Formats: sequence, structure tokens, C-alpha cells
Amino acid sequence: MLVNLTDNLTKDFWNDLVKPFEDETGIDVKIEGPTGTNVSETFSSQLAAGTAPDVVQSIFPDDQIAPEVLDLSDESWVEDTPMVDTYAIDGKRLVAGVGSQAQSLVYYNKTAFEKAGVKATPQTWDEFDAALGKLAEAGYTPLQTAGQWETGLQLQQLWHPTLNTEQPEWQSAVADEKLTLGDAFEPMFEHYATWLGDGYIKKTDVGLDPTTADANFMDGKVGMYPLGSWLVASLDNAGELPFEVGVFSPPVDEGMAYPGPQGATMASPYMVYAGSERSDEALQLVEYLVTDQAAIESQLTADGVFRAGASVEQSPVATEIQAIIDEAPELVTVGEGAGDIRLPVVGLNDKFTEIVQSLYTGTSPEDAAKALDDWAEQNG
Amino acid sequence: MALMSASNTDTPPAAADLPREGGARPRRPRRPIGRSSGSRPRTSRWVEASMVLPALVVFVGLLVVPVGYAVYYSFTDYNGFPTQTPEIVGFDNYVRLFESADVRGSMVVTAIVAVAGSMVINAAALGLALLLWRTTRFTAFARVVMFYPHVLSLIVVGFLWSAILGPQGAVNSLLESVGSSPLPFLSDETWALATLILVIAWAQFGVQLLIYLAGLQAVPAELLEASRMDGANRWQTFRHVTWPALAPSVTVALITSMISLIKTYDVVVSLTGGGPAGSTKTFAYQILAVEFPKRQVGLASAEAVVLILVAAILAFGVLALRRRHDQGVQE
Repeated sequence: MLVNLTDNLTKDFWNDLVKPFEDETGIDVKIEGPTGTNVSETFSSQLAAGTAPDVVQSIFPDDQIAPEVLDLSDESWVEDTPMVDTYAIDGKRLVAGVGSQAQSLVYYNKTAFEKAGVKATPQTWDEFDAALGKLAEAGYTPLQTAGQWETGLQLQQLWHPTLNTEQPEWQSAVADEKLTLGDAFEPMFEHYATWLGDGYIKKTDVGLDPTTADANFMDGKVGMYPLGSWLVASLDNAGELPFEVGVFSPPVDEGMAYPGPQGATMASPYMVYAGSERSDEALQLVEYLVTDQAAIESQLTADGVFRAGASVEQSPVATEIQAIIDEAPELVTVGEGAGDIRLPVVGLNDKFTEIVQSLYTGTSPEDAAKALDDWAEQNG
Repeated sequence: MALMSASNTDTPPAAADLPREGGARPRRPRRPIGRSSGSRPRTSRWVEASMVLPALVVFVGLLVVPVGYAVYYSFTDYNGFPTQTPEIVGFDNYVRLFESADVRGSMVVTAIVAVAGSMVINAAALGLALLLWRTTRFTAFARVVMFYPHVLSLIVVGFLWSAILGPQGAVNSLLESVGSSPLPFLSDETWALATLILVIAWAQFGVQLLIYLAGLQAVPAELLEASRMDGANRWQTFRHVTWPALAPSVTVALITSMISLIKTYDVVVSLTGGGPAGSTKTFAYQILAVEFPKRQVGLASAEAVVLILVAAILAFGVLALRRRHDQGVQE
């Protein structure tokens, strides 16, 4: 099984996760991490080389992957797995997951908010700007970011609720040429450029690695830190922090209902390689991973994953996130989209980060939006 | 002053033919190697061919076939998966490649890395080789130390220097502790590119150092001695004796460093991730981290073919320049 290896999901974690399955069935599960920069790249290379694993974790099907993986629609155990139909392509259920990861979250330092005189978490962009200003005056880094994938992802995460309120299923709107990527994101580029200009985001943070950004937030010198629910696992593992962590859904435009739609992804998605010579055993493994209570709970706690009805003891921050998910008017797909709601281009996240980083080096929001449209046109 | 220069002589004698310190030794007459091809018996030709065959099979299997596939795929629309049949699209991928602003940008970055990087690498390697030329206990130790970075994986090198030069790395923490502003080694476009080049140079100059050290061992001792006797200072000795004798080594060092640099990938992944804002995205990074993950095997193959052609043009270009220079010297 090819899996993603992260600070939260280590090789030991994966081996421990499948151990009961191995003991019960006698099937030996070999865990392998990505040999390229990520699972997607590794899986593509392995498919091309004819060495694809029986099971692949952490990536989602698209038009090219779909013919390469088994259709799980006839498997009865897939029925109740989270978000299974959101990720279905042409009605085919190709992937099964363990839960949902909330994507649009802003973690904040409650002590910093108190000291800065921010009485309530911001619900509109004007309130958000005001909070940033107060945090800066109080001597905190108002908004923490990092380089690599984090720069672009954070901006998308912050903008999901507003964008999805204004343009539901915006990825389909782009595919249908009713909206351009540049038009979708230019207003958020403007917010971001203003924060950079006002010094609310440190320009040097663009050279920071995401793990250091996590550590900065946990050190207590940061006001707000936008990130997905996976940060909960790091927060829980960090022990006692010098401040109390809170979390809220990103703001929306004045006049929009708050909270807006919550960006979410299927957590720990599993697919079975269609060319597998052990497809029955692979299906058994995936069934175990997404239906066995102990396996589910282990995965939920390891990586900040949420699942309706799960009886996992949650930290206060995780409880707040569960409340955000429960209160969200809907869970929406993020980035390139999922299932049948997808952009007509692939590779958005990397290019998006590159374009957001260009705001740090003087590119105007208009030019950034144009660069996004140019990229979509050249690669569509 | 009658300064003797190697460029004013015929081809320098091979090191083995030179008299050693402590007096000349008699030369053995050279034996002719083999016979002329016209008089070789047919069996001898078969024996020679059979000896070449294994190398030829390895060469074709490991080089010609993969490159052939890359060339073929470069004319197709293909995602690399066995279930899809490559569809011939002619020169579309090559047109796309040169129309793409991203690809053109990565070509410019690669050219800067290759030119600036090879200058830094060769300057550092040659300078250190001149310092470590004479064999002593210290220089033997220093050579090992200087070669050590080359042994490290470039991925590790990237992470290492990222920890040292990052916004909260060792250097910036030190600067902040003494009240100075941090330096944007990895957070400013120009700085990040310069940092990338210097880190690659640090990691790679070991091989060029060895090439120059080997070249320096072949500098005729009697020429150096003669130049000293003629009163040449160190610079004059270097300029008129050492440098001309090192010319073949310079050619090899330049070609190997430039070819290595135009393939820069690993260190980009771990040091800058191609950022900020794509400012350190090299051509190889574009192929491996952008096109292949998007499963654009046809386009990625076209880019790989361009990379191979550029490497070949560079290598043959430098060799041609070297030959022209040598002919000029001999005339």
C-alpha cells in the first residue's frame, strides 16, 4: 500500500494501523511511502512503470486515474463512508475514505486576541482587517504563513466560504466558462496584497517551511494561523501551550450569511489498483481501513479527521472544529475540485502558490489574476 | 626576460616521458601497438568486434533506447499509463513548450544557474586545487574535507542549507541576536537564486577540484622549474605555464559542471521548492515536479529532449572551441 508519510502519519503509524488486519487475515501488508515528492507523482510513475501498488492512499480519482482503479460501487461497505458520492465520477464510486478534513479554518491565539482587544472572532473581512491591525499593535505577528505549498493553500482556505457563497460549485462555473480563475480569486489577492503592504504578513515567511510556521504559532507569538483540521493533531501532541487555542470559520463579505460553506476533503482516501493481482485482498484491506471501528478511530485522532457519529474523545480545539463543521451550511470541494465538480485544468495548487508568492515580490493583484487566467488558458 | 611558455612549444611531453627529480632515466623504445587495419586477418576483426559488443549492448540498452523512447513520446499526447495508447500529435508538444511562459521562465533560470554556477564552481575548484596541489598531511586531509559535500545527497544538502539560511535559520537567528536585520536568503527572488547557485557550487565543486588536482599533477615539472629560473613570479608562472597545461582539465571541468548544472533538480526541491514565486524553478524541476505529476508525459518528454540537445550542444560547443584554440596555438 502506497501511503502519505507526514509528521502525523509516520511509517510506524501505518504499520500499527494494519497490524490487527494482518493478524486476523494472515495477509501481509507492505507499507511504502512516496519515492517522488508526493504520493500523486509516485503513483503516476508506478503506473507508467507497471509497478503500481495494490492500494493507494491520500489521492483522489480524476479522468485519467479513473480507468486505472477499481469501481467500488458494488461493494456494500462503501455505502456509509464519508463523502463517497462527492468524489464519484460519472456515478462510479472509485474511492472510499475515513472521514472529512475541514479545510477552511483560522486558528487563533485567545490570549493574543484578549491582549489586543479583539472581543469577538471576525465574521466579515472588515472585522478581520481590524483584528489584524490590533494584533500588530499588540506586538504579535498578526497572520502566520510559510513557503512551499502553504502560501497558496492558506489563501484558498481563507477564500472558500466567500467564493462558494458568491459562486456555488465555482470549479464547474470555470469549466463551463461562466467564471475565470482570475475573477474568482482577484478579490482575495487584493485582501492579501493589502495585508502584505500593511506588514500584517512577514514577507520573509515566504521562505519558511510549514513545520516552522506551525511551531511559530504554537510558540504563542502569532495571532492567527489559517490551516486545515490536520493541525489539531500537532496541537494535541504539543502538550501544554502558553496560550489557549481557538478556531473559527473564515470571514465572508458584508451582507453574506456567516459562516459560509466549509471547504472539506475526504480524509484518508483509499483506491484499489485495477491491475492488482491481489484485488480481493486489497479490497479486504480497504474495507478494514474504512469500516473497522478501531482503525477509523486511530486515523481520526492521528490527523485531525472528523466523522459524523464517531465516538472519539476530542480535544477542546477539535470540539470547536466539529461545531464549525456542524454549523456550516454545506461542505464544499476545494482546489481543483472533486468528482464531477472539477476545474478543466490540473496542477492548480502549485501554480497558485507561485502566483500568491509573486504578491510578495511586487506583483499587483490584477496581474496575479491575469497570470492565473493565462496559466489556465495555456494548460486547459 | 626570456619567459618560457607552454603555448609556445609543441604539444607538451606526457608526464611519464619526463625526467624525474634526481636525474633522467633512459626511455624505452615504444612498440607499435597492433598492425595496420589493412593487414589484419579477418579473425582478428571478429575478436575485436566481440570485445566491443558488450559495451555496445549496454550503451544501446541504457542510453539509445531510453532516449529513443523520450523522442518518440515527445511527439505524442500520452499520460504514461498502460491503458492509454500514445496519440501522435506531431510537433505540438514542442510548440507548446516554447509558447509556455512557465517553461521559458525555467529555461532562463537554468541558463543563469548553469553559467553562474559553473563559473563559481570552477573558480572555487581551481583556486583550491592550486592551494592543495602539493601533497602534505594537511592538504591530504583538506582534499577529503573539500570533497565531502559532493558525497552528500543533494536533497540533504538542500535541507541542511535551508536550516542554516532560512528566515529563522542559524544565520538569521545570529544576525537578529546581534541586532541586525535578517537577510532574505530564501525569501527574495534574487537572493534565493543566488543562494541556490552558491549551495549547488558548495555541493558540487569537489569533482571539479579533483579534475584540477589531477591536471596539476600533469603540469611538466621542468617547465615550472624553468620559469622560476627565468625569474617568473607566481602569477606569471600560473598564466604562462600552469594555465595552458591545464587547458584540457578546464575543458572537462567546464563541460561536466555545466551539464550537471543544467540538470539541477534535487536541491531545488529541498531548498526552495522552486520559489519564491517560481524564481528558482529550473528546467529539470519543471519536467519532474510540474509536467510529470500532471501526467503530461508527451510535453515532459519534449522538454527532456530539449534538455538533452542543449547538453549535447554545450558539450560539443566547448570541445569545438577547445580544438580551435589548440589549433590556433599550434599554428
